[in-house]
Amino acid sequence: MSALSRRRFLERGGRAAVGLAGAGASAAVALAEDAVADTGADRLVEQAAAQWAMLFDSTLCVGCRACELACNTDNELGRTPDEIFEGRPAEDARALAPSVFTYVTFHQVEADPSTAAFGKVQCMHCIEPACVSSCPVLALHKTAEGPVVWDGTRCLGCRYCMMACPFLVPRFDWDSRNPRITKCDMCFDLQGQGKPPACVAACPSKALRAGTRADLLAEAHRRIETRPRRYVHHVYGEHEAGGTNFLHLAARPFDELGYRRNLPMRSYREYTKPAMATIPYVLGGLGVALGALRWIINRRADVAAGGHEESQP
Amino acid sequence: MSRPPTQGLRLTPGLAILLVLAVAGLGLIAYRFAFGLGAVTNLSDGYPWGFWIGMDILVGIALAGGGFVLAGLVHIFGGHRFHALTRPAILTAFLGYLLFIFALMVDLGRPWNIWWALISWNHVSPMFEVAWCVMFYTFVLFLELLPAVLERLQWERAHQLWRRVAPLLVIAALTVFTFAMTDSLGWTVAVAAILAAWETLMRTGVMARDRQMPILLIMAGIMLSTLHQSSLGTLFLITDKLGPLWYTPMLPLLFFLSAVMVAPAMVIFEGLVSARVLHRRPELPLLVPLGRALPFLLAGYLIVRVGDLLFRGVVLETMRQTLATWWWWLEIALVLVALAIFASPDLVRRGRGLLLGATATVLALITHRTGVAIVGLDVPEYGRYVPAWPEVVITAGIVALGLLAFRLAVAFLPIYEPELEPGTAGRAPRAVHDHLTATPVRVG
Repeated sequence: MSALSRRRFLERGGRAAVGLAGAGASAAVALAEDAVADTGADRLVEQAAAQWAMLFDSTLCVGCRACELACNTDNELGRTPDEIFEGRPAEDARALAPSVFTYVTFHQVEADPSTAAFGKVQCMHCIEPACVSSCPVLALHKTAEGPVVWDGTRCLGCRYCMMACPFLVPRFDWDSRNPRITKCDMCFDLQGQGKPPACVAACPSKALRAGTRADLLAEAHRRIETRPRRYVHHVYGEHEAGGTNFLHLAARPFDELGYRRNLPMRSYREYTKPAMATIPYVLGGLGVALGALRWIINRRADVAAGGHEESQP
Repeated sequence: MSRPPTQGLRLTPGLAILLVLAVAGLGLIAYRFAFGLGAVTNLSDGYPWGFWIGMDILVGIALAGGGFVLAGLVHIFGGHRFHALTRPAILTAFLGYLLFIFALMVDLGRPWNIWWALISWNHVSPMFEVAWCVMFYTFVLFLELLPAVLERLQWERAHQLWRRVAPLLVIAALTVFTFAMTDSLGWTVAVAAILAAWETLMRTGVMARDRQMPILLIMAGIMLSTLHQSSLGTLFLITDKLGPLWYTPMLPLLFFLSAVMVAPAMVIFEGLVSARVLHRRPELPLLVPLGRALPFLLAGYLIVRVGDLLFRGVVLETMRQTLATWWWWLEIALVLVALAIFASPDLVRRGRGLLLGATATVLALITHRTGVAIVGLDVPEYGRYVPAWPEVVITAGIVALGLLAFRLAVAFLPIYEPELEPGTAGRAPRAVHDHLTATPVRVG
C-alpha cells in the first residue's frame, strides 16, 4: 500500500510544485517589471548633458582621413601613413581593428554619382553602454566625464562586450596570446589635460567638434533648423540605443552611410534588466517553497507509511 | 549484491579512442595558447562567440542539469526510489562543471584574470551571474559528491563532520551570492534568514532531516541551477545578432524549461549507455518511471517555444528557406519524435524505445542551444560563421577527457548501487541507506 500511495502522493506533490513554480515565476516577473519601470535612464541622459561629447557633421567632411592619421599617431597604433591612405575605402564598421580606432567610410551617392558622402565609424560612447552593462568584471567603464574606457588588468577576454555592442565596435586581438579589447576612448588622457581629442584637433574642415553633449546637441539642431534642406532631420545618437555621447549629422539617410539602422531608442541594458531583476525573487521564493514542499511531502509520506517518525533525535 | 559497487578498469578500444581524442584536443589547446584564438577558430569581430560557447557551455551546462533535477526529485519531492540514480547524476554534473570551467578557460582570451570575477562585481551583467553560479554550484556539487569519497576512504568522522558543516557552508555561500547578485542588504538578510530557519527547524527536530543528504545542500543546488540555467538564456537578451526564431525575451524561461526537460532524458541515456559499456544491468525499473515525466516536460517546452512565436507574430519566419529555419524545424521535429515515443507506453517499456526517446530529447536540446549560439546568429556585415575543425576537435577532446574522468571515478568510487534484484526496485536503496546510517547521528 505504501508504494501505491507514495506514487500518488508524488504525482500530487509534483503537480503542486509545478503550480507553485508557475505562480512564483509570474509573480516574480510582475514584481521585477514594476521594479524596472523606473529605470533611471532619464537621470543618465541628464548627467550626460554636461559630459564630453563629439559631433560629426558628414556634410562638412571631405574624406581626407586626417582624423585617422591623428588617431593612429596619438594612440601609437603603429600603422604607417601609407597603410592608412593606400587602403581601400570601407563602407562600414568592419574596417575597425585593434590598430584602427576610427575610420571614415566612403559612399557613392546614387542620386548624384559625381559626389561622395562620408560616415565616421568609432565607439559611440553610449550613455548607458551595452558593453559596460554586459562586462562581468567592470573592465569596461563609463567614466563620469563621458568616455567609455577599458581596463586591461581586469578583462577576462570573454568578448561578451562584442556580442552586446549594437554598433559592432569593440575589437579583439585574435592572433595574440595576450589579447586586448580595443576601441576609441575619446582620447580620455588628452581631454583630461584640457585638449580636444586628436581626431577633432586634426580635422581641417571642422566636420568634427568636441564639447559638452548639451551644447553639441543644441548646435546640431540649430544646423538642421537653419539649413533644413541640407540635412536629414535626424541627429544620429540623440536617442539611438538610449543616446550616445557621439552625435552625427548627415545629408543622406544614415543607413546609406553605413550606419546601423532600426536600433532601439532605449538602452540595451533594458533588455536584460527584467530577467536580472527576478534573481532575488527566485532565490527567496525557491528558498521558501522548496523547504516547505520537502517538509509537507516528507511528512505526508511518513504518515502514509504508518506514522513512522523520522525526526527523533 | 553480486558485484562490488566500484567498476574494474581495463584498457578497451573505446577507452583508447577517448585517450587519442583527449591528447589531440590538449595538443590543439596548447597551440591555441601559443598563437591566440585566431589560430584555431573561425571566430571574428562579427561572430565573437561560436562553437565553444554553443557546445561546451550552453549544451554542456544543460546536460549536466541531471544533478539538480534528480537530487530535487529524490530529496525534496520524495522520490526516494530513484535514489540509485542520483549519485551517477551528481558525478556527471560535477565532472561536467569542471570540464565546462576548463573549456571556458580555453575560450577566454585572458583566463588568468578570472579571479577578478570574485572581487570586481557588476551586478547588472548576466555574465557576472553566470560566473558566480558556476563557481558556487560547482562548490555545492563538490559537497554533494563528498560522501562517496568519504565512504570509499571509510572516514566515518569526516562524514559526520560533513553532515554538520555542509549546511552552514551552504548558508554562508548563498548569503554572499545573494549580496553579490542583488547588492541589497534586505534581500541578503531575507535569504540567509530563510535558509537558517529551515536548518534550525531540522536541528531542533521539528522538521525531519534527510538521512543521506542535508536538505539545504539540495535546495542550494536547485536555487543556483535555476538561476544558472536561465541566465545562460539571459546572456543573449542583450545581443541583436540573433534571428527572430531564436531571439525572444522568453530565452531565460526556455533555457530553464529545456534544462529540466533534458535532465531525466540525460539520466536515462546515461543509465542505458553506461550499463552497456560497463556490462551492468540497466536500472530499467527506475528509468522507465522516470520517462513518464517526459511527455509533460516536452509538451510544456513545445507550448512555450511555439506559443512564443505566435505571440510575437513571427510565425511566418518558419517558412523561409534558410539554414536557421531548417534548424528550427529540426528542433521541433526532434521534440515531436521524443514526445511521440514517450507518449507510447509500449515503446518506453523496452530499453530500445527508451534510449531512442531520450536521444531525441537530448538532440532537441542540442539543436535549440546551438541554434541560439551558432546557427541563429546573423551579422549581415560579416557573412556566416562556420566552426573551424580545431574548434570541433578541442571540444571532442574535452568531452573525451570528461568521459575518461567518469570512467576513472566509477572505477574507484562507490557511485553505482549494487545491482537490483528484479522486483525490489523500491526497497533496495532504503536498505543500503539504513546500512550507511547505522550509526546514529546526533546533531544539534
